[in-house]
Amino acid sequence: MGKDDAITELRSAVLEYDSDAAVRAAKAAIKQKIDPMIMVDKALVPAINEVGDKFEKMEIFLPDLMLAADAVKASMALILPLMAKDYQTSKATVVVATVQGDVHEIGKNIIASMLMARGFNVIDMGVDVKTTLLIDEAKKSRAKIICASALMSSTMGSQKDIIDYATALGDRKRYAILVGGGPTSREWADEIKADGWGKDANGAIKLADKFSGRR
Amino acid sequence: MVHILDVMEKALEGKPISENDYQLKLFAAKANEKVREHGIKFDRNEVIPSDNSLADDIYRAAVELLVEVGAYCTDTSRILSYSEEEIRGALRNAPQEIWLGEGKERKRLAPRKIEDKSPPWCFLGAGGGACSSDRSFTTLVEGYAEIPEINAITTPALTRVGGMRIRPASPLELLGAMRNAVYAREACNRVGRPGLPLMNSLSTAESDIALAAALHPRYGMRASDGFLICCMDPMKVDFNRLNKVTVVLSMGAPIGMCFGPLMGGYSGGPESTAVSNVAHHLMGVLTYQSSWLLPFPLHLRYVSSSSREMLWIISVTGQAISRNTDLISLNLNYTSAGPTTPMCLFETSASVTAAVVSGLSIESVGVASNKEEDRTTPVEPRISAEVAHAVAGMKRSDANGMVNELLSKYESKLANPPLGKTLFECWDPERRRPSPEYQKVIRKFKKDMAKIGVDLRPEL
Repeated sequence: MGKDDAITELRSAVLEYDSDAAVRAAKAAIKQKIDPMIMVDKALVPAINEVGDKFEKMEIFLPDLMLAADAVKASMALILPLMAKDYQTSKATVVVATVQGDVHEIGKNIIASMLMARGFNVIDMGVDVKTTLLIDEAKKSRAKIICASALMSSTMGSQKDIIDYATALGDRKRYAILVGGGPTSREWADEIKADGWGKDANGAIKLADKFSGRR
Repeated sequence: MVHILDVMEKALEGKPISENDYQLKLFAAKANEKVREHGIKFDRNEVIPSDNSLADDIYRAAVELLVEVGAYCTDTSRILSYSEEEIRGALRNAPQEIWLGEGKERKRLAPRKIEDKSPPWCFLGAGGGACSSDRSFTTLVEGYAEIPEINAITTPALTRVGGMRIRPASPLELLGAMRNAVYAREACNRVGRPGLPLMNSLSTAESDIALAAALHPRYGMRASDGFLICCMDPMKVDFNRLNKVTVVLSMGAPIGMCFGPLMGGYSGGPESTAVSNVAHHLMGVLTYQSSWLLPFPLHLRYVSSSSREMLWIISVTGQAISRNTDLISLNLNYTSAGPTTPMCLFETSASVTAAVVSGLSIESVGVASNKEEDRTTPVEPRISAEVAHAVAGMKRSDANGMVNELLSKYESKLANPPLGKTLFECWDPERRRPSPEYQKVIRKFKKDMAKIGVDLRPEL
């Protein structure tokens, strides 16, 4: 297998939502001493961008998006240690969670997968995440951005808790705190002094891009 | 028969699997596999199909899906498996009628057939939409209770108590749930219909403890109300929800499981979402011990049920359930547009028509995706009910033509819908009627409906 074939296989594995194949292709590419930057720039990024675009147009659906993101994550676990340190840290770390008291996960999963697809280092903490644990994780992982999702009007208040807690710790300026979810609005984000409100996944990605280099 | 203790045994002893693997590698993969195996195809031009074999294929695929993937308990990370025999037994034992309400409002809720001439059960109101104050809550419920076709009320959900935003499983949520019960009953009393059942009891009670607390007799809830327990997508349950099931069973009240498979989400495209929607009915009778079912499939992007794909899903789900079971099923529809917009009224007319001619009753309506506080009025559910009664008995082929006409009026605006006005901007609570501006919109809407062959009550 030539170097071009290895890159093609890695790209195809993501487009076929196949983590096992992505790991095999990444191992083959590493064995052939292909520059890890080329693996990322020529295979993983174009493939996951293509998947993200198809999801936006609803040509594919959430399971495909999440499986493709898993394939990227699995291959990146092999590729990342081989990359230069400055490249490794060039994308911001984002902590993503559904807030305390809320078990709805679909919106949060879409955001996490699309952020990953756009090259962010995503830490997905899951659903019903305690405010204190969320901020602890953001601090530990040196995250620049926190995305907090709430799907119920009764759990929106937990978004305010996150901002108040970070402020009380004196850490408010360390993170851009972005909020979103069905019942939330720009007015709500302004009221609780969030850094931004994602109307939908695309809006969240644009905000993450905006804030990724700032803090 | 599968009882609640059997459900718990399955939740404690079933096969362990991660939530991610269940929903991505098992549920989503199998739903797609079933669509392929049964050759199920969505036809954009036939949103209300007349092909009985399509409905039967979807039903068969749904039974196989449930047998092969089961339900999933997020608290134990285990699969609750069901055999085909258990499914058949649950369907044999499911009630074929339920009596809800008190006094002269006591009515029989029963399954309907495709193209059934009998009017659907009209479960009307806000569909649990958020409302900001006690005043808007009671204004809305009084308005709903005065709708002539109403059989049961679906209340809004309070978002604040004493000026504080409600927090889950906190005293604020418990107090909000108690107020939900008291205010809704009082609103029905005020308009002289004290016996109307509150069928989405209790929308403010998201947690098990809030529901249990608000069921104290002093707050006026009755076993003749309906008790909705919401399933997590896809086919998931947790102890919070099973606690609610246990509490409502102990009252001897009829449980309704509501479930909203997202087209574009774990359920995938229109075909697999239809299969998922039907499978959820069967899962609800078993896991949630439901006597009635309340599907509300939604479009992932539009968060409404009026697009071409969603109307097809509603229709084929109704036909599959109606032809193959005696289950009682009511479709809840969401619009993208808001009050005072013609689009909102056309959207709800299309969704209600798809449900009623396909053998379903209705819950209506979540307005403007049910996202914003107070962006709903008593007009939208009243229009839904008028349309539901007008189209009962309509042939599926005629309904398909009518719904295509309706789609042509709003389909292009679904991605960027007009949100219209909020409750007190377009509803006069003293005169109990819409604003002159909204009345004008309604009159024009009714003229447009007459042009496509649906005659509604003359608007005052």
